[in-house]
Amino acid sequence: MKKIPVTVLTGFLGSGKTTLLNRILSEQHGKRIAVIENEFGEIGIDQALIINADEEIFEMSNGCICCTVRGDLIRVLGNLMKRRDKFDYVVVETTGMADPGPVAQTFFMDDEVRSEFALDGIITLVDAHHVNQQLGRSKESTEQIAFADVLVLNKTDLVSPAELDALEARVRGMNRMAKIYRAERAQVPVEVVLGLDAFDLDKALIKKPTFLEPEYPFEWTGVYDLAAGRHEISLAEGPDPSMSLVAVVDQGSDDASLRASAEWCVRRWAETPLALAAGATIPLGRHVELQLQAPGRKSFVLELERPTRVGLFTQHTAEEFELQVSQRATSGEERVVPTQAERTWVAQHEHDDEVGSVGIELDGDIDDKKLNAWIGRLLRERGVDIFRMKGFISLVGEPRRFVFQGVHMLFDGQPDRPWGDAPRRNQLVFIGRNLDRESMTREFARCLA
Amino acid sequence: MPGVTFNQPKGALRVGWSANVDDYAIAGGWALNGEALLVADSAGGVHAFEGTSGKPRWARRGAHAGGAMTASIHPEGATLATGGQDGHVRLWNARDGAPGAALAFGDGWVEHLAWSPDGRWLAASCKREVRVYSMSGEELWRSPPHPSTVSALAWSGADVLATACYGRVTFFRMPTGGESQRLEWKGSLISMVLSPDGEIIACGSQDNSVHFWRRSSGQDSMMSGYPGKPAVLAFDDKGRLLATGGSEAVTVWSFEGDGPEDTEPGVLELHVMPISALAFEPRAQRLASGSRDGAVVLWTLNQAGHGEPCGVVQLPQPISGLHWRPDGRGLAAFDACGSVTAWRVGK
Repeated sequence: MKKIPVTVLTGFLGSGKTTLLNRILSEQHGKRIAVIENEFGEIGIDQALIINADEEIFEMSNGCICCTVRGDLIRVLGNLMKRRDKFDYVVVETTGMADPGPVAQTFFMDDEVRSEFALDGIITLVDAHHVNQQLGRSKESTEQIAFADVLVLNKTDLVSPAELDALEARVRGMNRMAKIYRAERAQVPVEVVLGLDAFDLDKALIKKPTFLEPEYPFEWTGVYDLAAGRHEISLAEGPDPSMSLVAVVDQGSDDASLRASAEWCVRRWAETPLALAAGATIPLGRHVELQLQAPGRKSFVLELERPTRVGLFTQHTAEEFELQVSQRATSGEERVVPTQAERTWVAQHEHDDEVGSVGIELDGDIDDKKLNAWIGRLLRERGVDIFRMKGFISLVGEPRRFVFQGVHMLFDGQPDRPWGDAPRRNQLVFIGRNLDRESMTREFARCLA
Repeated sequence: MPGVTFNQPKGALRVGWSANVDDYAIAGGWALNGEALLVADSAGGVHAFEGTSGKPRWARRGAHAGGAMTASIHPEGATLATGGQDGHVRLWNARDGAPGAALAFGDGWVEHLAWSPDGRWLAASCKREVRVYSMSGEELWRSPPHPSTVSALAWSGADVLATACYGRVTFFRMPTGGESQRLEWKGSLISMVLSPDGEIIACGSQDNSVHFWRRSSGQDSMMSGYPGKPAVLAFDDKGRLLATGGSEAVTVWSFEGDGPEDTEPGVLELHVMPISALAFEPRAQRLASGSRDGAVVLWTLNQAGHGEPCGVVQLPQPISGLHWRPDGRGLAAFDACGSVTAWRVGK
């Protein structure tokens, strides 16, 4: 029997949850959606069944936080089950101050809910204009970001591009599992928030074979409108003796095309860079490493056969090396080309927030006894501080990939598909408070068979 | 026996009749001394069938917009009360379906209803509030708000109403509504039954346990170790045996002697899916159990709560309710797709 998918929508008051919900409901998707609202919104759309329920957090006598559930959801979902032919999707809109933990735990802890419903994903709306203040003031906003499968940075029209880049860097540092989208007035396609299968790891891995969203190996991109011919890229002395870079042609300047090129450049970065001395020509679409040890400004050449927009994806920001692109006009005059667009990316390991992600990637086979002992101890000691975890493991002697996920101390893992020809490897992601990346990585490595 | 498919009733259960309502058969029972079977469904309709033939007697479709949620038949059997997602309590003449009072409670769901044993009062709950009405629908009392949504209502004797919610059971003495007792326990109480004398209170809890209290001493005990949450409970009408769900087995606690503490409960194993309905035969010790896969089993129990199956039938859909005819010679099962099946029951 197919379980009914449930999407949980979180975000502070004013972050745009109701706008997004209206968008989901008014879209012609042919789905009958039931909405469980915890704040009075102003929704009235015929094809949706709207149920208002007060948030009721039920703790258990044993005091275990992972047993804490949302009584209102159990009650409302229990009644929705009795009219199953009347809808095929559920969206739960939480209050701004809601802790997502008990909401998610309800789908694991309650046997009746679990038998009929499947948590599809947690969507968190972030008010780009106010979130920095909120993050300083409340643990709920931090946890809503930490729990999310999708983060929508909303109200981007109210902040500068630089502020937005910094915000994205900050939330990416906190949550490396989530997909991040930018939006004005919560305008994101419905398919990026519904039908995620974020808790169905097998399906999620088919869609994308990694749980880790990239932390980019470059910090900056500049987009330049360039004529055909010879251009100069010059750099001053900077903090490092070298800098790597990829030049991309036909680069769009909107968020989606920048992101698409960024993903592509991540793969270029995995290739060994070509070392280039000053004066050399930079091949297009190649990972190169500019040698910058010599004192003074150094120039490199970019040759274009036709006019195009070039995206320079650079390891450090342009500012740090005073990077300039210039073209010599027919008059012989040197003209500096301004950027059409620029943005900064989340660089690796620059996290100040208490809440962060630990991603571990390791080749080799794991001993299941050692793994059990380690995970067991980790969850016993740190379960309260671990919000989400996901991973796949290559167990010694097991032809199938072992996949697991968890919310706080709740751990759910099983072997799924055979590895087949795919390279056997391990990937784990933990999102939590004050996690010690180094010791976790070291301890996991000790689980190797 | 598990895994065997039974299409025809076996043992003490004999072929009777079956009928359909429009959606999930949510609540109801026998009225008019077994002359009629009343059913409220999640499509919002109320239906009456002839007790012996199953022939439709009357139907009121659209009684509760959004769906019915609860029903309670007056002890004299001639009046039905229903509650639903429209926030109303409605009264019906069981004989012909003539509508009685329509009581607007609030903008939430009316989830629980209970007539007092002498039939003088009707208790109803909506969200955190409980109201008590007279037989004619006059509102007599409103409770102060409970700390969370009321999860069960039951009468302890003729004039004391017990309410359950997260963390406590509260007793209110009618008609003044004065709070006469409060039993507290940190946990989510999801179901409640009282022994017929009102002395023993049993609650199923979200954390997969059953909690008991004895009213006179306030002494409480917790029976844990259920694999699932014990959402269905039933007391026999002597108050000696308490049957509980919470797994594929029915667990029966005996209150003979010093009570169930430190005793081995009866464990009745035959169902292959979790128990979803339980009902004791009136004035007897037979128990009917239904499960999420549609099986109905009849059990003969001894005083310690141990027993053997004495009748069995397999229906296609999850069982949502079991109702004994008042004379004990008939049993009705409601299911999740709106089928209503009645059997004759042999001795």
